[in-house]
Amino acid sequence: MPEIEYKDKKIEVDEDGFIQDPDLWNNDLAEFLARMEGIENMTEDHWKVVNFLRNYYLEFGIAPMIRKLCKETGFTLKYIYELFPSGPAKGACKIAGLPKPTGCV
Amino acid sequence: MGKAITMRELAAADGQVVRLDPADFVPLPPPYDGAEGRPPLRSLTESQKQRLDDSLDGFTALRLPHPQNREEEDQLVRRFLEGVRRLLSADDNWTFLGPLMLRLDYCAKCQTCAEACPIYLASGRQEIYRPTFRSELLRRIIKKYVAPGGRIWSGFQGADVDLNWRTVARLGELAYRCTLCRRCAQVCPIGIGNALIAREIRKVFSQELGLAPPELHRLGTVQQLKIGSSTGMSPAALMDSIELMQEEVEEKTGMKFAWPVDREGADILLIHNAGEFLSWPENPEAFAIILEKAGISWTLSSELVGYDAVNYGVWYDDVQLARIALRHAEVARKLKVKKIVIGECGHAHKALTVVADRILGGELNVPRESCLTLLDHLVSSGRLRLDPQRNDFPVTLHDPCNIVRLMGIVEPQRRILRRIAPRFREMSPSGTRNYCCGGGSGFAIMDGLNFPDWRSGVAGRMKFKQILDAFAGELDASVPKYVCAPCSNCKGQLRGLLDYFDATRKCGIYYGGLVELIVNAMADLERPFITFDADLIPAVRA
Repeated sequence: MPEIEYKDKKIEVDEDGFIQDPDLWNNDLAEFLARMEGIENMTEDHWKVVNFLRNYYLEFGIAPMIRKLCKETGFTLKYIYELFPSGPAKGACKIAGLPKPTGCV
Repeated sequence: MGKAITMRELAAADGQVVRLDPADFVPLPPPYDGAEGRPPLRSLTESQKQRLDDSLDGFTALRLPHPQNREEEDQLVRRFLEGVRRLLSADDNWTFLGPLMLRLDYCAKCQTCAEACPIYLASGRQEIYRPTFRSELLRRIIKKYVAPGGRIWSGFQGADVDLNWRTVARLGELAYRCTLCRRCAQVCPIGIGNALIAREIRKVFSQELGLAPPELHRLGTVQQLKIGSSTGMSPAALMDSIELMQEEVEEKTGMKFAWPVDREGADILLIHNAGEFLSWPENPEAFAIILEKAGISWTLSSELVGYDAVNYGVWYDDVQLARIALRHAEVARKLKVKKIVIGECGHAHKALTVVADRILGGELNVPRESCLTLLDHLVSSGRLRLDPQRNDFPVTLHDPCNIVRLMGIVEPQRRILRRIAPRFREMSPSGTRNYCCGGGSGFAIMDGLNFPDWRSGVAGRMKFKQILDAFAGELDASVPKYVCAPCSNCKGQLRGLLDYFDATRKCGIYYGGLVELIVNAMADLERPFITFDADLIPAVRA
């Protein structure tokens, strides 16, 4: 299993860089993961997306429908791509510490 | 033309056996006749290469870690051979031994099938992708190492293959370079297909060696049986999604109604591929609108597995296949429905209506029907008021292999389209002669590492060519065009393909299911159900 170095610790990630243990997640790690995605500065809008994803995941165990994410944050998909250039799934979900989406999605 | 390679070379090669070059691939029509039609294929990173075996062609579906020592190498070979022995035993393989032996014994090696295989053709006729190549490799291994007297006579019988761990690893990968589309079986003069052999090789790897792509097994069937869906969607998450879809239906159509869930005694239990709820909610929405307007007694299930029609076992593992099929039937029996209707999901059609017939006995053998025949009936019955002019844009139809070639459901979807889509045109070839989308047998969901590049660049290439040809002369981006693909997996693949070639922005090509087109034609809707907006489509590649 690949690993990333974070604060002198090694954290297991999958082949696409999604962290394997969701309990390790915290705001600081999120900022670290964001930098790996090329996002130097997490703005309020970034956090709005990440926090919604995180809370939805804690409640339901998966990432929400993209339509739901747009509806709840009030952001268009286009704007979410501007915030997270690698997209809601591969970018925002990864930063929010969710596992990679699976199945026919 | 791909480089000729012998089985002996396949076993002996130390590094990567084949290096694919997009310059060899089958040409695409304009505007993809230049570099845009040949995006470079990504390699694994160095650290991935150090861990995983990609020595077949630079890609890996199985993600086999390199054996660390001789003992691990030998163990791989030993367990593989034990698995093959079991594959050939009536006690251990009662499910598929008959069809497997027919295919192993009777191939005349005439090679008619090669020119029917979309992967072989698209790749520029790479020898390793020739449909008989992997079948023949298995045959020779059986002759030399498993059949009685094999080692003595093998030299005279074309059994010239050396079995080492690399041969095993490469055969396992080769089983994941076939989408199980069965086009080869269709052109074979004696009806022998290579897909079933590929699938049985996958089964040996899964059931005997514990090796399967994580998307199919650990995150697929295992997760489905445990949490309820291979998407990870629990019953609570399903109900949350249904709530949102109900709201969307009201916003789009003004129709306010509660979707029936777990309604005992309904006529129909509709089972969708759960990927629809998350990625294409307009599809279940359109189903709900049609059934409601037609006055059908129907229900969804919120029981574990009862809301996800997928059964990835059909692609790689008999045990998982049976567990899921039994669960589907059990859910229907408990709800006392008259029949199960399978939503727009091709492999679920194969698993639940065709293959499961052998394992569902007695009252578990609940009648099962394709959604396409039901929809044909509803559209023809005149119960829905439809105005074809609302679908005044170019439409072509993709034929999902499992629904069309396998089950012979050809006309229902066409009768519907002729009725509701005035600018419908066929792909060529079409119907049972279609080309696979390239995402069949699980490829559409195998998104790890660089596999998506192979899937779009090679496996889906013939399909992309067909789509461009079907819309020739109308490829201007300002004309929205619709590829109707009544199958979740095919849609997943089309999403990847269109994204890989940037075909929505460049050529205005969109995709979706059949029910969305039906609802879009409804005469009493105030605004269109389908929206063509490239900004609303999530990109696939990172």
